[in-house]
Amino acid sequence: MAEGTAEFSLQVIASNRVFYSDKAQQLIVECGNGKVGLLAHHEAVILATVPGELSIQKRDGKWIHVVAGNGSLVFANNRCTVLVDTCETQEELDRRRAQEALERAQERMRQKQSIREYNLTQAAMARALSRLKFKDKYN
Amino acid sequence: MASTREIKERINSIKNTLKITNAMYMISSTKLNNARKSLADTEPYYYALQAMFARVLRHLPEGYTHPYLEVREKSEDFNPRKAVICVTADKGLAGAYNHNVLKMVEKEIRPDFNDMLYVVGEVGRQYFYHHNVNVDGEFLYTAQNPSLARARAISEEILTLYREKEIDEVYLIYTEMKNSMECETKMIQLLPLIRLDEKLFHSNAGITAVQRDSIALLPNPGDLLDNIIPEYVNGYVYSALIESYCAEHNSRMQAMDSANKNGEKLLAELSIRYNRERQAQITQEITEIAAGAKARAQQLEIQRKRMRKQMAENGLSAVTE
Repeated sequence: MAEGTAEFSLQVIASNRVFYSDKAQQLIVECGNGKVGLLAHHEAVILATVPGELSIQKRDGKWIHVVAGNGSLVFANNRCTVLVDTCETQEELDRRRAQEALERAQERMRQKQSIREYNLTQAAMARALSRLKFKDKYN
Repeated sequence: MASTREIKERINSIKNTLKITNAMYMISSTKLNNARKSLADTEPYYYALQAMFARVLRHLPEGYTHPYLEVREKSEDFNPRKAVICVTADKGLAGAYNHNVLKMVEKEIRPDFNDMLYVVGEVGRQYFYHHNVNVDGEFLYTAQNPSLARARAISEEILTLYREKEIDEVYLIYTEMKNSMECETKMIQLLPLIRLDEKLFHSNAGITAVQRDSIALLPNPGDLLDNIIPEYVNGYVYSALIESYCAEHNSRMQAMDSANKNGEKLLAELSIRYNRERQAQITQEITEIAAGAKARAQQLEIQRKRMRKQMAENGLSAVTE
């Protein structure tokens, strides 16, 4: 552990598992208007996150990078809880599946659809794009 | 002869049926376990989500409105359009499971108003198609292997209808497992949200703006709620799907278990009957053989006597000659 670094307790919960539950030094999440980094003793805040990369700096200073879906985050009293619908590490992420999902979404985009279908397709596309971007980043 | 063969045939057919019920029992128990596990996996997420939602509600700016949070019953004579989502199985053979759900839906739906029914599962869909109920034909979801993705699709569909004011109230009818033996059909009101979780909303009533600790809601409360509320509703839909799925398989296990027991009882009775019948046949055959042998012996005895008599007479005559 690096000396003198302040820590905060962090919980990252995806809809099918608890992904991270430990102390952490830093957390970076993707928000609608850019990335937001949170350090210990951040002011109390509730954030909405969008599909994209989520990075955690662990107690030993090492980073974990995962790709997360839509979610929300609350930081209060030096405790942080991140709730995301999905959360995958580099290894778990299947490049081909993401690529296929993207192509499916693009295909659907070309067709006539209702506003609801359009929204669903757009969300699917955003998820697929953020996954692909993430997968390529560390290769 | 015919009687024993008939019994034998019957025994064989029962044995075949038992193979099927046994297999169904085992399949149901595996599926039940898998579904339970996936429900347990999602529990921490939804508890945290509930807490998060409560927190956001607590810190909403005064007088903030959001499409999902408003209350629609403004006047006394307001006649809300109801939507009912009901979860049935895809097939029968599950005891009273399907019937209980169907009965409750029939009680809830008023055919004179334009209530809509959204059915998950083939049994309910077929039933209501033939019963003059306003079923949404496009709402095609199966009850098999409930997944988060399917729950999301369902809740998204319902939320859209609600947002566009096609419907004013949403009810969810599903089956809950009280314990491993008992299932209970339940109804909850999903929307408006204030009905779903009154405790959550009422806890805010007493808190004034001064008492709230200030928390920044970023980027804005609307985006936050847009992220949280669909997932929140989805949590209820998903757990209802899984609970119903568990209850379905539990009911099927019980039904198959009693079918197995009945089958075995029947087999025992039939095999006793078969053995008796066979024994009776053997006894009869033995009696017949014994009787035949006895009759033959008597016949031979008579013949012998006659021959002896003849010989004696011949002998006598030979002597006299």
